[in-house]
Amino acid sequence: MSKLVLNGLVRKFGEVTAVDDINLELAEGEFVSLLGPSGCGKTTTLRMIAGFINPTQGSIEMDGRVLSSPGGVVPPERRQMSMIFQSYAIWPNMTVAENVGFGLKLRKLSGDEVRRRTGEILEIVQMGHLAARYPAELSGGQQQRVALARAIVVKPAVLLLDEPLSNLDANLREEMRFEIRRLHDEFRITTVYVTHDQAEAMVTSDRIAVMNQGRIEQVDDPFTLYTKPRTRFVAGFIGRTNFLLAKRDGDAVRFEGFAIPAHLFEDGLAGTGGNLQFSVRPQSLHLHRAAPAAGRGRHAIEGRVVERAFLGEFWDYLVTPKDSRLRLRISAPPLAVYKVDEPVWVEFEPSQMAVID
Amino acid sequence: MRMTPPDSAGTTTIVPRVETRPDGATTWMRSFEPAMLLWLLLIAILAFLVLSPMLRLVFASFEDRVTGAFTLANYAEAYGRPRYVQALFNSLALGASVAVIATLFAVPIAWAISRTDMPAKGFIRMVVLGAFIMPPYLGAVAWMLLAGPNSGWLNRIWIGLTGAETGLFNIYSFTGLAFVIAVYSYPYIFVFTNAALDLVSSEMEDAANILGAGTWRTTLNITLPLVFPAILGGIIVVFLEAISLFGTPALLALPARFNVVTTQLWQFFEFPVKVETAAAYSMPLLFITIGLFGLQKLILARKGFVALTGKGGERRLIRLGPWRWVMFAYCMFIGALSVFGPVIVLAQAAFARAWGRGFSWANLTLRNFEYLLFEHDSARQSIVNSFTYAGATAFIAIGLALCIAYIVNRRLVPWGGVLAFMCMAPFVIPGIVLAIGFYAAYAPPPLALSGTATIMILAFATRFLPIAYANSAAGIRSINPEMEEAVRILGGGRLLAIRRVVAPLLKKSLVGGWILVFIPATRELSAAIFLAGPHNRVMSVLLYDLSEEGNFEVLSAFGGLLLVATLIVVAIGFRAIGRDFMLRGN
Amino acid sequence: MPWGLVRVCQCLWLVAGLSWAEAATLTPNEAALYEAAKKEGEVTWYVGQFATDVAQQFGKNFTERYPGVKVNVYRATGQVVFQRLSQDMKAGVRQCDLFSSTDIGHSVYLKAQGQYLRYKPENAAGLIPAFQNIDPDGYYHTTQVNTVTILYNTDKVKPEEAPRKWTDLLDPKWKNKISLGHPGFSGTAGTWVLMMRELYGAGYMEKLAKNNPQAGRSLNDTITMLNAAERVVAAGPTATALRSIAKGNPMAIVYPEDGAVLQISVSAIVKDAPHPNAAKLFFEYLLSREHSVALAETYYELLRPDVDPAPGAKPMREFKIVQPTIEAIVKGIPEIKELWRDTIGN
Repeated sequence: MSKLVLNGLVRKFGEVTAVDDINLELAEGEFVSLLGPSGCGKTTTLRMIAGFINPTQGSIEMDGRVLSSPGGVVPPERRQMSMIFQSYAIWPNMTVAENVGFGLKLRKLSGDEVRRRTGEILEIVQMGHLAARYPAELSGGQQQRVALARAIVVKPAVLLLDEPLSNLDANLREEMRFEIRRLHDEFRITTVYVTHDQAEAMVTSDRIAVMNQGRIEQVDDPFTLYTKPRTRFVAGFIGRTNFLLAKRDGDAVRFEGFAIPAHLFEDGLAGTGGNLQFSVRPQSLHLHRAAPAAGRGRHAIEGRVVERAFLGEFWDYLVTPKDSRLRLRISAPPLAVYKVDEPVWVEFEPSQMAVID
Repeated sequence: MRMTPPDSAGTTTIVPRVETRPDGATTWMRSFEPAMLLWLLLIAILAFLVLSPMLRLVFASFEDRVTGAFTLANYAEAYGRPRYVQALFNSLALGASVAVIATLFAVPIAWAISRTDMPAKGFIRMVVLGAFIMPPYLGAVAWMLLAGPNSGWLNRIWIGLTGAETGLFNIYSFTGLAFVIAVYSYPYIFVFTNAALDLVSSEMEDAANILGAGTWRTTLNITLPLVFPAILGGIIVVFLEAISLFGTPALLALPARFNVVTTQLWQFFEFPVKVETAAAYSMPLLFITIGLFGLQKLILARKGFVALTGKGGERRLIRLGPWRWVMFAYCMFIGALSVFGPVIVLAQAAFARAWGRGFSWANLTLRNFEYLLFEHDSARQSIVNSFTYAGATAFIAIGLALCIAYIVNRRLVPWGGVLAFMCMAPFVIPGIVLAIGFYAAYAPPPLALSGTATIMILAFATRFLPIAYANSAAGIRSINPEMEEAVRILGGGRLLAIRRVVAPLLKKSLVGGWILVFIPATRELSAAIFLAGPHNRVMSVLLYDLSEEGNFEVLSAFGGLLLVATLIVVAIGFRAIGRDFMLRGN
Repeated sequence: MPWGLVRVCQCLWLVAGLSWAEAATLTPNEAALYEAAKKEGEVTWYVGQFATDVAQQFGKNFTERYPGVKVNVYRATGQVVFQRLSQDMKAGVRQCDLFSSTDIGHSVYLKAQGQYLRYKPENAAGLIPAFQNIDPDGYYHTTQVNTVTILYNTDKVKPEEAPRKWTDLLDPKWKNKISLGHPGFSGTAGTWVLMMRELYGAGYMEKLAKNNPQAGRSLNDTITMLNAAERVVAAGPTATALRSIAKGNPMAIVYPEDGAVLQISVSAIVKDAPHPNAAKLFFEYLLSREHSVALAETYYELLRPDVDPAPGAKPMREFKIVQPTIEAIVKGIPEIKELWRDTIGN
């Protein structure tokens, strides 16, 4: 049975529809990210799950029980969830231990039990030595750990995280991504994680729901999402890509100035026809000085380098195929050096070209 | 009212100055900065306004009345009678009672307006503003009409309803006095609390909610502790206001036949005038004030109290359900106590031949206004006085504050902090103590300013200098020095930069500061009562004098004039700088 | 003669008298003073003897009589005007020309301090002999005579229940019902307390305190307290009470069997007064027959024998009067203030 179910969730603010028909199911212990640009409705969705915002339509169920529906809502304090906020919302008037123990006390645990579990969780987030400190004396990363400890210690039915890393600097953010994943692996709490940072979502999540303009465009595991984006938005939001328009013509898929045989594509592009749009990752295109050997399911065309930039870990080339105005963005390893205007061969991997809507 | 402690550390950019070590007279001349002259001048003015009256007060308390020799006799006299000491304790009890009542009034309103979905918030804010601009002594007059033990409207209604022998309320009592002061001072706590609550991120409450804490628990455990420093600040201001208020105790405590510090101080000005004893007697007020601010610092020094800054996250209002109407009723009840009830009875009395005869056409008259405006010798003059003095006060205070704020913020002189400190110092001097200091320093020869407009304007300007400074400093701080540097790098001098860039940018906050000084200056009584002469009585003093004979009809009519005059100024402030300007705490 | 007719005659006489006076009847002294006063243009009067509206009316009457000389009226209770004057003097400020308080002790003191200008108004000779020569040296002269009587609200108290003498006020049935003036402010209230102490000892105030009297500042405050029915009986000023009764307020006067308390209040010109000639002219005016007519209309006791009392006002010879001596006042009022604050409070 699913742990958490969002059914046709809609939220309108006046004339504006912030969340538009969201359907999502989370299995017990699953970690799902809501990923999207700002204003896509991901935070509104999260706050509806928490109970801070009521849905205009649709419902939210947990363990088969309806939590939110336009008919009525269970208030946040009775949802058995916990949440980590963008601002951490660590109460500055309480010590670290008091912050963490707050939820436990509300659950009417004995003083000893509160102390024991507070101590345990603070050790787990490596904050045990700072238990008596006040938040104003902590760094941003330490506050983040307190927020994590406070949210996890109550063993919530669902853990919600609202862009928890956006206020940290880059190094710390990277560290905390893995910390969050580690804690999830340890406690297996069903988690909904809101972020606009694709790397964060990919490191932490079992599945990612990419949201755009109030809708979920695609829900999949990170690998599938990257390699098989289903919409132009998803392909563009996760990683860099080339969008190519094509026409199906018998066994040929005709692009501007060149064509690739359809049978090289996955399933031979069965079930498609007419106009097509492809997302082609720069990493899936390969450059050669001479025509590469045919076969291995690949297809090469002639072209010419028009621009290049060296980014340290890789080269970024723009290549125009012969007889075409297309500009293909291609990533190449640092040692693959080509000059501007140099004629090159571009090798496609049709199995890595995703057809998008 | 905006009361901000000076933020000398708040300056962001330091204007670099070329330091040259002068080794001869000519180089000294060359490197001499005109700013230093200005600095000396400002120090002199501040010494005259702040330092000298206070030092004079302290010295006077140790001086023999006749010979001027050192003596402790003044202290012996000031504390030598049980009656005098009793008055001191009465004041402390009064301050504490007022603080408690005012907190109970203010905090729920501030919470409801800032955090909940209570209806008609804008209206409730206007009501609080109404209580704020009502001069406290006028409120006291209104409450004499409402709750005089036998004749007050409330008691007459009570007696009419129950057939009781005596009324329910007696405004001429300690409780009555504490209540009336609280009814007109709770807006201070409101302003402080409301401003702080607006800074508390909703996420702080959300975090408690999601962990299982309900509204009530969250409010008590999270929200209120977070704004406690602000509430404490408000309470201290209210406490000080209560113990240094003169008008309300003079109107209510005198008939109730007990004394507080301020009415006792007034008695020392009876014949023979004992300024020295009064000086000795006012020392506790000064020490209590300084002590309270020290205590506040001590309490807030505890870790865990941090200044709330910036707007945090998205706002979520607490849904009160049916309780929103209960909160609304509570706010309206406070409104009835502070504004609606008093204004109704004042209006009735102002237009009545005899207020006791109630509401009827036969009892209606314009006679009281006619008397005040066309027959009374000094009523018209006092209105003119109030406005010209308050205007002059505002110009002096703002002008001085602006100069000082500018040179402090731009670090034009060393030790700018000294100037800032002296500007804010009057904040901790009760108005009545300041007045006695001014009286002791400048009433006698050589300056002999007793009873002149000058002494009143100077005393007012000193009293409201902190308000002016807080506003000016905030205004200056908001102007990036690079704006001026841009003028100077293009070849314009500093004065040109000030005239063409700084002044236009500051216009709005200067108007705001001017009005924020002007309004309290038009209604100030505690200081004015000691300094006004027969020819330059201001409205507040005349109102107090009128109250001697207990002619409530004329008194109410005059109070009405005062109120209308204030409302006009507030309305101008609304237009110039936005509706909220008086209730903004920054 | 019916009242209306008297009034008409008085008015006629006044109108005629005024135009006549302007034309010709200034005495040489008066004319000289007027000339000098016109140059000064104004006179400042610190006054505690009359209610505010009355004092201001008197000032206007004067200006009508002597155009070009304005009266600045500073009205407060007797003790407060004295407080104001002593503050002025301590600060070396000269503002006051004519000083009229309700505590003769002030004048005794100020004269002894050399703060008064000796001036004997011509019109002083026309006063009722008993009010003449209060100061043998002629520094200060009687400008107001008032009595303190028992007043009550006729809506709340039946005539037969009203107190008949001062000691009746000690009856517990008047608990929470008495209104008084404050000797710390009102000189007349001080004289009354002094007289009560003289008649009945210090115990009188202690017993009165048990009845929890309400105390305003001015003695005139008792009138508003009675009219508002806040309190129902009072020791109050007869003249203000008569004026209030004439306006139709439910109030009556009891002339106590043990004596209405008489108070003589004096005025004097302050030494180094900024407008000495205007002050002299105004002083003359306050003692004039014309002014006594105005006094009669406002129900104050008449200063001169040549003016008829207002209707309803009981002539002084028809009721018993008690009066402290000047020496008793000078010595007693400061003690009384302390006694009051120790017994009644504040």
